[in-house]
Amino acid sequence: MLSRHAEHLFWTGRYVERAADTARMLDVTYHGLLGEPVSEARRGWLDLLDVLHLGQQFADLHQVVDARTVSKFLVADKDNPGAIVPCVQKARENARGVRELISTEMWESINNFWLELQGRNLERDLDQQPYELYGLVRRRCQEVAGTVAETMPHDDGWRFFLLGSMLERAGMTCRLLNVRFAPFTEGEDELGFHPAVHVLKSASASEAFRRAHPAAMTLENVLEFLLMSPTFPRSVLFCLQAAETELAQLASAGRVSRALRVLGRRRADLEFADVTELLAGDTHGFLDEVQNDVRRAAELVAVQFFRHTDEFAVFHSLDPVS
Amino acid sequence: MPTVHVMGADLFDGYVPDDFFDEVFTDDGSVRPHYEDLVARLRSFTSTELARRERLRDAAFRSAGITFTVYGEDEGVERTFPMDLLPRIIPADEWSEIEVGLVQRVTALNRFLDDLYVGERAAVKDGIVPSWLVTSSDGFRREAFGVPVPRGARCLVAGIDLVRDAEGTYRVLEDNVRNPSGISYVLENRAAMTRVLPNLFGSLRVRPVDDYGITLLDALRHCAPAAAGDPTVVVLTPGVHNSAYFEHAFLARQMGVELVEGRDLVVDEHVVYMRTTRGLQRVDVIYRRIDDAFLDPVVFRRDSMLGVPGLLAAARAGNVTLANAVGNGVADDKAVYAYVPDLIRYYLGEEPILQNCTTYLLWDADQRKAVLDRLDQLVVKPVAESGGYGLCIGPAATAEELATVAAQIEANPRGYIAQEVVSLSRHPTLVDDHLEGRHVDLRPFVLTGETTTVIPGGLTRVALRRGSLVVNSSQGGGSKDTWVLRDDDAKDDDAADGTGGA
Repeated sequence: MLSRHAEHLFWTGRYVERAADTARMLDVTYHGLLGEPVSEARRGWLDLLDVLHLGQQFADLHQVVDARTVSKFLVADKDNPGAIVPCVQKARENARGVRELISTEMWESINNFWLELQGRNLERDLDQQPYELYGLVRRRCQEVAGTVAETMPHDDGWRFFLLGSMLERAGMTCRLLNVRFAPFTEGEDELGFHPAVHVLKSASASEAFRRAHPAAMTLENVLEFLLMSPTFPRSVLFCLQAAETELAQLASAGRVSRALRVLGRRRADLEFADVTELLAGDTHGFLDEVQNDVRRAAELVAVQFFRHTDEFAVFHSLDPVS
Repeated sequence: MPTVHVMGADLFDGYVPDDFFDEVFTDDGSVRPHYEDLVARLRSFTSTELARRERLRDAAFRSAGITFTVYGEDEGVERTFPMDLLPRIIPADEWSEIEVGLVQRVTALNRFLDDLYVGERAAVKDGIVPSWLVTSSDGFRREAFGVPVPRGARCLVAGIDLVRDAEGTYRVLEDNVRNPSGISYVLENRAAMTRVLPNLFGSLRVRPVDDYGITLLDALRHCAPAAAGDPTVVVLTPGVHNSAYFEHAFLARQMGVELVEGRDLVVDEHVVYMRTTRGLQRVDVIYRRIDDAFLDPVVFRRDSMLGVPGLLAAARAGNVTLANAVGNGVADDKAVYAYVPDLIRYYLGEEPILQNCTTYLLWDADQRKAVLDRLDQLVVKPVAESGGYGLCIGPAATAEELATVAAQIEANPRGYIAQEVVSLSRHPTLVDDHLEGRHVDLRPFVLTGETTTVIPGGLTRVALRRGSLVVNSSQGGGSKDTWVLRDDDAKDDDAADGTGGA
């Protein structure tokens, strides 16, 4: 297929996933911080900005750190490329670039989502019904993913869409762990119930986790689950496996591309990692490495298949220089 | 003159053909034979029923996203191109003459352009067309000298605009051999008609148009460079913001080939490739819908972001075929148009079958003077425009407008031509709940591949505004499905085939 088409689909997948993940985290943060003292709440919101790598950008624009300001920045700020509305807009623009290739249902699900956001009073939503808004964003993104799975031929174009969303999701879960577990790697060894639930819910993982570990909500268990569960679809390992599978199908038979090598090594590493060892060592550093690999894999996909780099410039401005 | 009213308690109630040539009614108010069947069927429709069909049609067009962009109003508004529910019918014998005339004309145009760009420039040397006229044309491209086109198919797709005068004679209004558009409406109109008013077809044997995609692909493949075994064809579009993007996407779909933008192509060592996820793939034929000026920033406009650097050099090296060829605009020049009948005689040794409209060339002092004296009775057109832009229709113009045009002609006589006003034929057209006569023209499409062929019918454009002579979509025009009937012999043959198995 044309590189341009592949690239559009890759970024459609990525932007849709980013919008959904951001909505999930906003939802959990908002509700988790209700009733917390102001200083706690402030720290919670700053953590969220760190997870999304938007801390500096936010600080340049705003003095006040509270639910209202941060939510608005992450939902509706047109100049924030990581905010939900601009993400949906980008997803739509990319889908439009392949309008002739994708199903009408897929186009309509993205287009209607965009129109629906345009038609809403987002400030009032954030003030009064954030839960409803975040639920809507999550459901619409799921609708897009569902329509793609059900109406697009499962060929190369579909694989690029999937590849984009899997890499985005892997990166997001990784960053979530990295930020939320920072306090524990710095000496605190007890994971409280609320912080644990908070992390799990941010990845829509709390129920699945409970079934896997009914008794013990330990730091070890939570980290292992979100990092290495082979079956939970938002764990880093699961996403890397999925991305690797699609990438292997896209590559010419018998050749291991650089992107595939990076993904495969990291996947194998996670598959056979021991969480106790991990926690005993430099957890932070390890998560940084995983994050870097995800980003490098995405870059190498671009080099191999697209050779266009402008979109990466945008996304990289969201990532810390490593 | 006597006013003839067509009588009957139906849609045609009060329909007045006036003294124009009416496509459906003769001077004495009777229905032309090839319309009898259709008119009889239409009479059974109430206006309410037709209104319902109109809504069906609108829904069909909107959901298919069949739109074009109007420039100049609110930064490009997307509109649907309105199709009138009454089809235009052309009987077989009438069509076969048009067909022969079109093939003759396009053959001569192809010969002329090939002669000009890669040949001996014989027509110029022999004084058929003045050399200065050719080289001063906006559409002339000296960069295209020596760029070969296999089979000389420079006008691979031609759209020749025809009008009918007061006597009903078909005349050529203008040639479009750069990037004629509109074929997608021909196909979509037919598809819509068969869905919205299937019973109108009745027993009429209408020649199909839906094989256009295959025919075009065939022609494009025939004109691939000789070295290309199984040629790869692509459609090159300026992108989604172009007014005809819908058509570009439509044609790519119909042919089953990639729709590419300039940035998808790359030229290396005079070979054109498209960037795919499996690497570079060689491209042999490009049906390009980008104007010459934007095609290749190396030789044309340097600021073009739409084109492909090195494309023309690749074509010159014979590694890729560009359709239509670069530099065809010289034949679209409305002053060069005046010489086409002579070109037909010169290259083919035949008398032109389709006549031009009477045209005056304004650099000739005598003709210019005569034109300026009666500007209010003539149509003045800029030679390089298309789409009805810059037109001045004398009888409808104000004294001020005429003075402006006169000054423009004096300043740049090469830049304009004048023509006698053709009182275009009219066709009954649905206006609210009744029918009124509206002026129509016809743009048939002519393809040159292994042979030169004409798609039956073409795009009938309607000036929807009462009294207007301008049919262009950009100027408030609409369209009609155009039915070319099979000739009776063919009908008999088909019937024999169908029943002769026993």
